[in-house]
Amino acid sequence: MIKNPSHPKKGQIRTKECRFVKSGIEYIDYKDTETLLRFTNDQGKILPRRVTGTSAKFQRQFTRAVKRARHMALLPFVAENIR
Amino acid sequence: MKNFYEFSYIVSAVLEDEQYKAVVEKVNAMLTENGATIDEVDEWGMRRLQYPIKKQHNGYYVNMYFEVEGSVIVKLERQLEINDSILRYMTLKYDAKMRRHLELRRKGNLPLIFEPAPETDEEKENKDSKK
Repeated sequence: MIKNPSHPKKGQIRTKECRFVKSGIEYIDYKDTETLLRFTNDQGKILPRRVTGTSAKFQRQFTRAVKRARHMALLPFVAENIR
Repeated sequence: MKNFYEFSYIVSAVLEDEQYKAVVEKVNAMLTENGATIDEVDEWGMRRLQYPIKKQHNGYYVNMYFEVEGSVIVKLERQLEINDSILRYMTLKYDAKMRRHLELRRKGNLPLIFEPAPETDEEKENKDSKK
């Protein structure tokens, strides 16, 4: 991040932090579809780390959870878009 | 050596109410015969599938936890593979972290992921589009 205290963008830049690390959770459950949905877009695609700010460790766990949920038909592989 | 497993499966919705019970009991009986100690059987009941499986839109979900030897899982999965009324199944072997998570969930004090965090623009958009 910017170290210079007089930098004009200081204070405007939001530091991303991993929600999973912050909450102190240890395992992402595939049955918890509500949480999983928060990290996917409306097409049901997994959002990248650069958007959500998830840590690498939890992103791996999270993708695994989504894929498990998809197998059990708890999440869609492709969500149909209503235009 | 015995391991702790989470096992879930979806029973086809074409069956009658009593037949679901029969399927569940059959699975449970098969496990106990093979020396499993069943921890919990949680029947979620009828749920809508997110995508059709074998041209069906609904399924009867069953989620269970048990402790058993690994070789039994092979047999169990073989049984369910043959059974036409089982749409999907999934076995997860639990490690220490997952078990701690399960204990916390049973006590009902899982750490919250979202409550204190303010919503980002993107999530708001997502929510709106889902409405």
